[in-house]
Amino acid sequence: MTKNWKLKEIVMLSIISVVAGVLYMFFVLFASTLRNVLTPIGLAPFSFEFVFGLWFIGSVVAMYIIRKPGAALFTGIISAGVEILAGGPGGAKVLIIGLIQGAGIETAFLLTKYNNYRLGILILSGMIAAIYSFVYQLFASGNLDLAPSVLIGMLSIRLISGALLSGVLGKWIADKLACTGVLDGYALGKEVRKKREQDAA
Amino acid sequence: MNPVMKLLAILVPGLCLSLFYDWFTPLFYFVFLLCMTFGYGKIPLRKGLKIFALFLFLSFGFGWTAALYANDSFTGGDVLFTFGWMTLTTGGLQTGLSIMFRSLCFLMMSMMFIFTTDTTQLMMSFIHQCKLPPKFAYGIIAGYRFLPVFQHEFQLLQKAHQIRGVDRMRGIKGKMHRFQRYSIPLLANGIRKAERVAIAMESKGFTGDRNRTYYHRTYVTARDWIFFAMMVGMLGVGAFISYKLGYLKVFHKQF
Amino acid sequence: MNKMLHKRVNGDEHANGSNWRETKRPLVTIENFSFAYESLEEAVLRELDVTLYENEVTLLMGPSGSGKSTLSLCLNGLYPEAVEGETAGSIRFRGEHLQDSPAGTWSKQIGVVFQDPEAQFCMIHVADELAFTLENMAIKEQEMDEKIDEVLLLVGMEKYKHRKLHELSGGEKQKIALAAVLLLEPTLLILDEATVNLDPHATESFINLIQHIQEERQMSVFIIDHQADAWLNMTDRVLLLGKNGRLLQDASPEEMFTTYKAQVKEAGIFIPKKFSSHSFGACLYTRSSTQNRNEAKDAETVMRLEHVTYKRKTRTILKQIHMDIPKGAFISILGRNGAGKSTLLELMAGIIPPTKGKVYFQHRPLQKWKETKLRQQLGFVFQNPEHQFITDTVYDELVFSMRLNEEPREKMEATATYLLEHFQLESEKYRNPFSLSGGQKRRLSVATALDDTPDMLLFDEPTFGQDAETTARLIHTIFELREKGITIMIVTHDMDLAAISDMVYVLHEGEIAYHGAPDTLWEQEDLLRAAHLRRPLEAKYVRQKVGEIG
Repeated sequence: MTKNWKLKEIVMLSIISVVAGVLYMFFVLFASTLRNVLTPIGLAPFSFEFVFGLWFIGSVVAMYIIRKPGAALFTGIISAGVEILAGGPGGAKVLIIGLIQGAGIETAFLLTKYNNYRLGILILSGMIAAIYSFVYQLFASGNLDLAPSVLIGMLSIRLISGALLSGVLGKWIADKLACTGVLDGYALGKEVRKKREQDAA
Repeated sequence: MNPVMKLLAILVPGLCLSLFYDWFTPLFYFVFLLCMTFGYGKIPLRKGLKIFALFLFLSFGFGWTAALYANDSFTGGDVLFTFGWMTLTTGGLQTGLSIMFRSLCFLMMSMMFIFTTDTTQLMMSFIHQCKLPPKFAYGIIAGYRFLPVFQHEFQLLQKAHQIRGVDRMRGIKGKMHRFQRYSIPLLANGIRKAERVAIAMESKGFTGDRNRTYYHRTYVTARDWIFFAMMVGMLGVGAFISYKLGYLKVFHKQF
Repeated sequence: MNKMLHKRVNGDEHANGSNWRETKRPLVTIENFSFAYESLEEAVLRELDVTLYENEVTLLMGPSGSGKSTLSLCLNGLYPEAVEGETAGSIRFRGEHLQDSPAGTWSKQIGVVFQDPEAQFCMIHVADELAFTLENMAIKEQEMDEKIDEVLLLVGMEKYKHRKLHELSGGEKQKIALAAVLLLEPTLLILDEATVNLDPHATESFINLIQHIQEERQMSVFIIDHQADAWLNMTDRVLLLGKNGRLLQDASPEEMFTTYKAQVKEAGIFIPKKFSSHSFGACLYTRSSTQNRNEAKDAETVMRLEHVTYKRKTRTILKQIHMDIPKGAFISILGRNGAGKSTLLELMAGIIPPTKGKVYFQHRPLQKWKETKLRQQLGFVFQNPEHQFITDTVYDELVFSMRLNEEPREKMEATATYLLEHFQLESEKYRNPFSLSGGQKRRLSVATALDDTPDMLLFDEPTFGQDAETTARLIHTIFELREKGITIMIVTHDMDLAAISDMVYVLHEGEIAYHGAPDTLWEQEDLLRAAHLRRPLEAKYVRQKVGEIG
């Protein structure tokens, strides 16, 4: 699966993972603070859900830029590793959820045989990752204990968050990045350049 | 100690721990980890305590939420107090404590790992014990090296933004803009450097295949297996004591 | 010694007009070689015909965008794999075609030290990085430590074996990069603008090291640089590459900078100070600048620092700094790495508050200023232009703060048009700032600070890593601004820049060790040595260059 990866692509994904991993750690702190605030007004279980999509944004960006099987999974795991090494609170558990979220993003592209990188598929990938992570947490984080109505609410918010904060925001960031010209040697940059040339012609 | 084995010795009990829903088992395991981590002596006490204090607060939050929002099958037992719409029951309290101790266990385990593991050794161990292709192992370290560079760049960006008055932009659009203004320069610079590093590595004869020697070799020794057995075994002991005392709970099932 | 003798013989033969190159053995033969990136219709390199010889030191010069670095990568056999591109013609290494060999074959014969000290390593510790090269060559584990110690001794870094790479200075990093490459025992060493990102002290030390190693190891060295001065002592031959990617000239250094001087100048390349003469324009510029210098003396104070002390954690970076900055002056702050120069500039800009003491701007303490007003009156240009870019187009970048201040549309248009024209960015109006060339980025970063006419402009190392043309343009801009009465304050390692300023401050160990006119600074031997400063070779030359462009 990864035979045709170039060294520069591996290093680049690794760098994206480093940026993502550090961001993820800040998101945990941010969401935790939010939760402690929301607890007295009865919205605590939702605090993480609102921003949950941010935890897959690295994988979406990676896949959208490189367009090779395994990119999302790789970024999911490495960014989780960086999050742990940078002092994130989740511990080894983060590694597993990183893998699961990466697999979620990967699934959407697998379904389209890695041929379609339009916004719709990116949004779908974010939503699948939301579902995967939700199912995992039912067991791993003891969410099964929570009341069903709360669970349904959590899932809906997580789906929306996955669609917007990873799918839409991920595409937006990657497109902005392509405009700077640094991606010219990668799949996304080449596509952008081709489009530009067509427009000019 | 072999880094991959150490990782396993943390992942396996970590996953198992997720199955126990009583409060005694995670508490027992937490005390064991506490003795292990600080007894081992490799962790700087002061730094360890600082991180510990921060996350004690976080895990308290986890427990607090669970205690109040636990579903009906867990909220049995006597009502301890009611405040407005909030009701705390003994069942809820037990669930809360269980989740709080569990997350403290996770914290202790990751601290144990971070403070005693060298990144280079970890990646070498992945090559030798997990057959990770060298192309990936070295590529990952090459990217990971940039962590301190990014910290420095981030501070510079903050200063530059103050000069240009970015903070004066308001509303959602301003927020989005700020997110963009940090992520684009960091990523753009990072990607450019990725390309340069890859070229530099290849120009030093790196092809990514396995036909190479290693400055560091990692091995799995008896010590690693003993450590692994101890980490898993103590969780078993905790569960057993819990069972004898009548607390043990796996998912919803009381033993 | 042997080498020097050899060189002299070559020189004599050359003077006699005989074709001395034929007596040498060819190492790399480039024949009718062209290269184009996939994206460009225009080739970066065109029909090159060059031969590099064994044990010869060749210097390749060319303006930005002439494909210098592309050539270095082609020589290494990394293209077309590392970056896609199309090639025509051939490159042969000792008679064998580079392009036909599998990846990694030739990289062991040809070592490259690249420009960016941050982006040459893949390991965390020095020893591991050096071992990486040895691992690639499949050297036995038992032999590695000995080889690592040996090469560290050669580059004079034996104390750094167990240090972390990111803690080293730029100059130290480049020495480790060199050591890593030397472990390959290359027959050809390529230095791809390896000193561009180093300060003058580190550059000198690096070049001395290269000279020493070349004499000891007798290998071919291929140097790519846009400044020849420091390399002249060891260079046998100079190649001149034009903007269109064609080889314009191939000659000995003497010949290149005397006979073909006009051609070199036309290509936009600095003539080494050794070969340049004073011109009428230079005198003119000198006089006008001294005139201003006298005026500046009686001018009022624009900024005042009173007993400013700055501590980071427990370390004192600056202690008891006292400064009075006259209006309309052009001032340089000098000092070795880590002397606190950039910190001082940031204190002046009010980005960081002093631990003790006060900074007054226009007679008001900085903290009493309204942020908006202060930023209009006090501009700051960062060392890396990219840090300042916050929008998606050059135009938006220029009007950003005017938009925030809700200025009228006409004023925005007029200012933007003026700045675009003045900084030669008209054709880039809608480009993304990040995609500009290095020189264009530098110009844009200066332009963004000039949307309002500020009273004072602070520059952090504005010429660092810039080529000759950008540097000259920048100096020209600085003089223009000073004519308008704007106070200019720069932190720099560039002694040529210091030599033409009205006043210099030298920071040493957190204190001001000297302040006054630059001319008297050059006499203070001890201070120059302690603060890692060097006397400018020929200060007037820079003035001449500025005069020409102006």
